[in-house]
Amino acid sequence: MRATLLIKKILQAALFDEIWDAMKVTFKHMFHKPITFQYPREQRILPDTHRGALALLRYDDHQERCVGCDLCEAACPSRCIKVVSSEDAERPLQRFASEFYIDITKCVFCGYCVEACPVNALAMTKMYEFSTHDKRTLLFDKERLYDIGERHLDDAKKYLHAHNQEKNVEESREYRYYFPQSVLKPTQPPPKHLG
Amino acid sequence: MGLKPATNPDVEAATIELSIDGKPVTAKDGVSLYDVISSTGKIIPAMCYHYTFDPFGSCGMCLVMQEGKKAPVRSCTAKAAAGMIIRTEGDDLFQARKKAVEKHLSVHPLDCPVCDADGHCELQDMAFQHGVTNLASAKQKLIPEDTRSPVLDFNMNRCIACAECINVCKDVLMIDALQFMKKGGFNQVVPKGDQALSCEFCGDCLAVCPVGAITNKFSKYLYKPWQMKKTTTTCNYCGDGCQMQLETKDAEVVRVTSPLSWKNKWGDRTDTAKGHGGLCVRGRFGFEYIDSPVRLKQPLLRKGNQLVQVPWLEAMHHVADRFADIQRQHGPDAIAGLITARCTNEELYLFQKLMRTAFRTNQFDSSARYGHLNFVHASRKALGIGRSPNDWEDLTKAKAIIVLGSNITETNPLTAVRIKEAIRVYKAQVVVIDSAVTNMAKLASHPVLINPGTEGLVIEGLIKATLELGLIDEDSTKKHPKAFEALKAAVAHVSLEQVAAHTGMSIDALNSTAAIFAEAPRSIILCAEGIVRQSNGYQNVLKLIDLAWITGKLGQPGCGVSTVTEEPNEQGAVDMGAAPEFFPGQALFSDQTARDRFGKAWDVTLPAAGSGADLVEILKRCRSGQIRALYVIGENPLATLPSSMEVRAALDRLEFLVVQDPFLTDTGRMAHAVLPACTSAEKDGTFTNLEGRVLRVREAIDPIGESLPDWHIMTALANALGDQWEYESSNDIQAEIMKLLPGYYNLGQPRKVVPTVDRYLSNGYAADVAARYRASAPSGAKSQRPFSLSMGQILYHSGKMSTSAFGLIKIAPNTGRLRMNPLDMEQLAVGDGAKVRLTSDLGSLQVAVQSDPSIAPRTCFFPEHFNEPPVKDLMPVQVDATTGVPSFKHALVMIEKA
Repeated sequence: MRATLLIKKILQAALFDEIWDAMKVTFKHMFHKPITFQYPREQRILPDTHRGALALLRYDDHQERCVGCDLCEAACPSRCIKVVSSEDAERPLQRFASEFYIDITKCVFCGYCVEACPVNALAMTKMYEFSTHDKRTLLFDKERLYDIGERHLDDAKKYLHAHNQEKNVEESREYRYYFPQSVLKPTQPPPKHLG
Repeated sequence: MGLKPATNPDVEAATIELSIDGKPVTAKDGVSLYDVISSTGKIIPAMCYHYTFDPFGSCGMCLVMQEGKKAPVRSCTAKAAAGMIIRTEGDDLFQARKKAVEKHLSVHPLDCPVCDADGHCELQDMAFQHGVTNLASAKQKLIPEDTRSPVLDFNMNRCIACAECINVCKDVLMIDALQFMKKGGFNQVVPKGDQALSCEFCGDCLAVCPVGAITNKFSKYLYKPWQMKKTTTTCNYCGDGCQMQLETKDAEVVRVTSPLSWKNKWGDRTDTAKGHGGLCVRGRFGFEYIDSPVRLKQPLLRKGNQLVQVPWLEAMHHVADRFADIQRQHGPDAIAGLITARCTNEELYLFQKLMRTAFRTNQFDSSARYGHLNFVHASRKALGIGRSPNDWEDLTKAKAIIVLGSNITETNPLTAVRIKEAIRVYKAQVVVIDSAVTNMAKLASHPVLINPGTEGLVIEGLIKATLELGLIDEDSTKKHPKAFEALKAAVAHVSLEQVAAHTGMSIDALNSTAAIFAEAPRSIILCAEGIVRQSNGYQNVLKLIDLAWITGKLGQPGCGVSTVTEEPNEQGAVDMGAAPEFFPGQALFSDQTARDRFGKAWDVTLPAAGSGADLVEILKRCRSGQIRALYVIGENPLATLPSSMEVRAALDRLEFLVVQDPFLTDTGRMAHAVLPACTSAEKDGTFTNLEGRVLRVREAIDPIGESLPDWHIMTALANALGDQWEYESSNDIQAEIMKLLPGYYNLGQPRKVVPTVDRYLSNGYAADVAARYRASAPSGAKSQRPFSLSMGQILYHSGKMSTSAFGLIKIAPNTGRLRMNPLDMEQLAVGDGAKVRLTSDLGSLQVAVQSDPSIAPRTCFFPEHFNEPPVKDLMPVQVDATTGVPSFKHALVMIEKA
């Protein structure tokens, strides 16, 4: 018993058995599709439901969707949203967000704000790279958020679609608010889908 | 429906018994079933109900099941009756209420996200409570928004036609500015006659609107309820001391809301006796002065010819050094001080302590000197109490009210609401005697128009009429036969015919007024600016007390002679001793025991007993050079007093003038040092209102810029002058006042005061009374100066402070126009906006005119808040010999077409 064990050990040592074992794994992986990919040279394909950077969206006619209703601020569990709303000077009686801030360092990417938004002005994108030398740039203001929205419009729309919030463009028109006109000015015709 | 209150002070309603949800409940007969149910603590939803007015019954939410009836009944419009068996809960009722919500929602736009009422909306709450998720049919009204009013926007798409706004306006405030109108197929609330809204703009309709149909233009779209911090504080505009909620976002005041809202509807109607919790236009829309861009943010020092911004440290060093220098070189009486009654009690207390202990002088005064002290001195002399004996509840429940010389709706709108309540609910007889057609005169049962400046004569006439008609209360007069004889002798020369001829008040009116006052079980005389701010104010208040005495109204519950105050804390200024003649608690400065007590408490030798100077004397001494330094807190004598008082000359002569104010005032521009002070929204403290209630003022926002509360600045100044004051907050000062004046902080309840009637009547009265009724011959200068010009307060403003509130200026800008009766204008052949030349004994100026039918013929009016054109400079000044009150609101003028 002892002898056979000894011979086996000697043979293993002579033939570098451990190395063969290790090489086996190596060779096996040579024909395996690699799991690690070369970030940032390679980018991961993300699902449509991915909760990345928040963005503000516009309608197709370039009008801001956000009506400054502040429901996102109310829904936010980490309190990273601040909305300052006011009456639009150019379009009286219309509410809009004159300022809009998201402190993305505080954001927990829960997506509640998107869910709360009654006009689908907020959406999440597939953008997740926030690294910066200046932490102050992580306080996203309104301009930055609309900028993200413009650059990642397709992703944002896919996100809303995937979360059953906005099925298609035509339907999204129904979310739009038609503010009443002042008696001081001629009234505009009622919107088509309400008429 | 007209469901009357269950009980009133005269009639006790019968008690009935009924069963609610199987429990026996006792209630008063005649009340609404809804009130009975809510008094048991059960809350059933109701969107059109509010306890301040009669039920309307349009929302269909307050459904209950009454045994014996097949369908649910509306509990608000149903009268509670004996033996009713009521069920308030159950699935059938829930479904019925849900149907009602769905009915309202089917014509309500789902624009909650942009609606200002979102989160504070009764319809929203009801939809959640009843789980309304789907609507079978929904319709959009697509009504354009009414934005014509300067204050409120009406979005009738959201209206649920509950009529709360119309009811509160018509019933509670008796303004009646709103109505229903069928327009575009829907019943809409529109301003009367579908014109732009023009009313008192109190905004109570906005407060009771359960949805967002009426919105506030000044804060439209600026907020959601959850974003704001609510601070309950006391209004800083008039002596009513209304509680209000300042809603702030960071350092910005977004809006003001009142305790009155659709949310506080569950109450018992007796609540309204102590105020319905609403606000007036100043309180609700005049908040913008707080974070106004023109607020002073840094101390200013005069360098050369200019005021330069300096750091606090430099400013305080300079101020303390200069004061110390002047005190050392010229003695303590080279320094004087003035303070506004818009400061808190704590600050007023600290001010008089600073003057008396740090500066060692008794030369200071507060703005209570402009009139309120006339009342305080008269009332103290005759009755031993230095304030109004009546509170709001007394006013509400009074049977007879004589409003004499007071445009109360404009000066103290919420006290006026108490009188309206008395008229409406308790059917009080109200006699309004004024030289203008005031709003209250239009509502009163007995409006009387008199010639301006004849208020004193009217009182004499009333006393004479009381004596002639034998309306004397035997019990009161028999106790003091000597005093009564003296009074009879004193008024012997008065003849009713003469009084009638001079005052324009007919003998019939005099007789009936005297009878109304004497015969009512609870009667109150309310005198205000027309008495206390006019010449002879002190004597006239004493005359009114005489009238109350001979009719047996002194010391009776719910009776008395009362006044209202223009600034929030005039009563507090007197109580805190911010007058040279008083210590805190209105102890006399010359009284030795009080001197010992306060001298010991403050550990100082007080200024000599006879020393001291009031406002007029201070200005005189400034002019003579005796006073070299003046410390002015919040006052603006240059803009308030007419130029005949030579304020500018007085201030020019000063070596050192310090002005401490939130704004750079006219007086501030002349100052050597200007210290930025906080408004009442940025500090803690208390106000004492006209009823004598001590009310909390709370810090709503951090001080703007580098401004500091007045008490903080005064403490720093005292310490720089070598005193050891250790006040860290206004609570510390409060603790000290509590020790000196036990019982002063009375938790918001008016302190009940009992007048001591007999002391004055039994000694000294007989000697005084003859002089009081000395025949005052009306001046014969009438032909030369036929018009009587008066200056006074208007509803939309208070003092000069409100002119910094952008919203109020938008509602009532300075038109620079003299208001005249249209008939007079016709006679002068001038139209609206035409220029006239206004000439008084003191000068003349050109001013545009404006027709105003509420101004009596041969009189004209200019609001005191504006000095452009400087109409105030035409006013002669008369200083009351006893109280030192300068009166300068009335002048005889000539008006010519320019």
